[in-house]
Amino acid sequence: MNGEQGMQTNGNEVIIETHNLKKLYQMGSETIHALAGVDMQIRRNEYIAIMGPSGSGKSTLMNLIGCLDTPTEGEYVLNGTPVQGLDDDELARIRNREIGFVFQTFNLLPRASALHNVELPLIYAGVSSKVRQEKAKNALARVDLADRTHHKPNELSGGQRQRVAIARALVNDPSIVLADEPTGNLDSKTSEEIMSVFDELHSEGQTIIMVTHEHDIVGHAERVVTLRDGLIESHDARADGLL
Amino acid sequence: MYVLEGIWIALQQVWAHKLKSAFTLIGVIIGITFLIAVITVVEGMNRYVQEDFAGSLFGINTFTVVRRSQISTGSETEERRRRQARNPNLTLHDVDVISAAVPEAWRLAYNSDRGFDEVSYKERRRRNVRLIGGSDGYEALQGWDVEIGRGLTPLDQRRGLKVVVIGSEIADRLFPDVDPVGKQIRIGAHRFNVVGVWESQGGMFGVIRDASILMPFSVYRQTFARNPSEVDEISVKMRSMEEMEAAQIAVEGAMRTDRELRPGQENDFWLQTSSELLDTWDKIVKILFAAIPGLVSISLVVGGIVIMNIMLLSVAGRIQEIGIRKAVGARRRDILIQFLSESATLSVVGAGIGIVFGIGIGKGVEAFTPMPASVPVWGIAVALTLGILVGVGSGLYPAYRAAKQDPIVALRSE
Repeated sequence: MNGEQGMQTNGNEVIIETHNLKKLYQMGSETIHALAGVDMQIRRNEYIAIMGPSGSGKSTLMNLIGCLDTPTEGEYVLNGTPVQGLDDDELARIRNREIGFVFQTFNLLPRASALHNVELPLIYAGVSSKVRQEKAKNALARVDLADRTHHKPNELSGGQRQRVAIARALVNDPSIVLADEPTGNLDSKTSEEIMSVFDELHSEGQTIIMVTHEHDIVGHAERVVTLRDGLIESHDARADGLL
Repeated sequence: MYVLEGIWIALQQVWAHKLKSAFTLIGVIIGITFLIAVITVVEGMNRYVQEDFAGSLFGINTFTVVRRSQISTGSETEERRRRQARNPNLTLHDVDVISAAVPEAWRLAYNSDRGFDEVSYKERRRRNVRLIGGSDGYEALQGWDVEIGRGLTPLDQRRGLKVVVIGSEIADRLFPDVDPVGKQIRIGAHRFNVVGVWESQGGMFGVIRDASILMPFSVYRQTFARNPSEVDEISVKMRSMEEMEAAQIAVEGAMRTDRELRPGQENDFWLQTSSELLDTWDKIVKILFAAIPGLVSISLVVGGIVIMNIMLLSVAGRIQEIGIRKAVGARRRDILIQFLSESATLSVVGAGIGIVFGIGIGKGVEAFTPMPASVPVWGIAVALTLGILVGVGSGLYPAYRAAKQDPIVALRSE
């Protein structure tokens, strides 16, 4: 599986670049610096963990990277596109094409089958029904759920649900997979299972950014970015020492 | 695609919560039911009036001279009504004037009639009948055919025989299991021989023939007329529309001359045609159709408000779903369209149920009353369009609320 893409890790193009990224909130007369000026670069096929205590700004950073929110100040270039200043619909389009989300609480549509959940991003991308089904089935096969396509979320185990969510994140071939505490609601055995799915995706060339506070999980990443008080405290290079 | 999804979600919801949906949609259902029921009945009447009633009551190419207008259109003034009340009675002399004015008439007949309390045969009675004294040729002019026995003959007329032809309803009532022909019935203090039974006319206005008893004019005059010199109606049937119009002018002129009316003075008699009746009916239909929108829109507005409420609840309960959809790339308008399709579908389901109920009521009216029913395609089209409009209208605000959800907040909600 560790094919051509895996070989190209070093010197890969920069896919995410932020410069002095700030997010400020007004609370009464007080201004909260959720992010106080973050500079970071992420290259294609990197596997990064973002850590930090609660209130450190990691959720805010995650929302900005995921184009769910726009920065108060600073620049964010995703895959060559400056994202700051885009309107809601343009952000929706970028989320649709460039980003695959995996959430702690899975966030699947409860009434829809696994297949339909995975199809969802393709629906909003305007893909025809036939191609959609085929792609969604392939994505489910990648996470070993080819035999669960017509199950509803409540008929699946926690680990299976998270794998459906991963399949949904992958189905549009996004630039990055953005996982927010993906194992937070799973027991340790299932967590290992899910982490090995991420490892496999990474080995296939997928760029992965994972927000977590679990140290076991951090071990899977190549690089750990630690946030504190809205600033990057450390870039801790792992694995092959990119920094 | 999310249009289909919205439709699908709405249908699933209706199906999963049938009782709740029934309450949700009750306003729309009632509004559309009412709309379709009224349209169905009015259209049915319309068709009936135009196709059957006018022809069977007045006959084609036929006009009738009467003392005063019998159709109240509501548009005539009180003063005119009073003046008409002073019009002199028609008499046999007028019959002579009219028949002299239109010697080319295909048929000319006159009659008087009155309601009568009761007729009986042995122990069996029928209440509320109409007695008609008709001149020779009256049945032919009216186009009435006998089903059993015979009609009145010139001989009956000349000799003033106490014979009658009775309507089918009366025959059914008095002679449930015997042949009425040759039997003697009592009308007040008099006894009459039944010589025939009219073919049943049926329909809403069939009572006119089916509950009538026809006897020679001279007999009626001697036995039942309140005023023996009076003739109620003098009818003239021509062969074509053009002939009829010419004949009307001739009759009007002859009557005016005979009654020595000065130019400018109003007629002291009235010419009645089926087209006059049709005009009146058209007016009634217009008033009915003008009143429907008001009544229907009240229930549709109520129905729309209920749907709006349900949609607001639905949006509030699915904030997380909206967040998920937005996270994977749904734009505002995608969410908007999804929820609009959902409320439009709900409303159209209501309209569909209303259409079925409305047609049901129309058919029920047709089955249990003499009124006919007819469902026009345009009525269904109007109902469905209204359904969509109400759905979209009441879904706008909830859908807008859904569409403007902040995805971050929405994703966090449970």
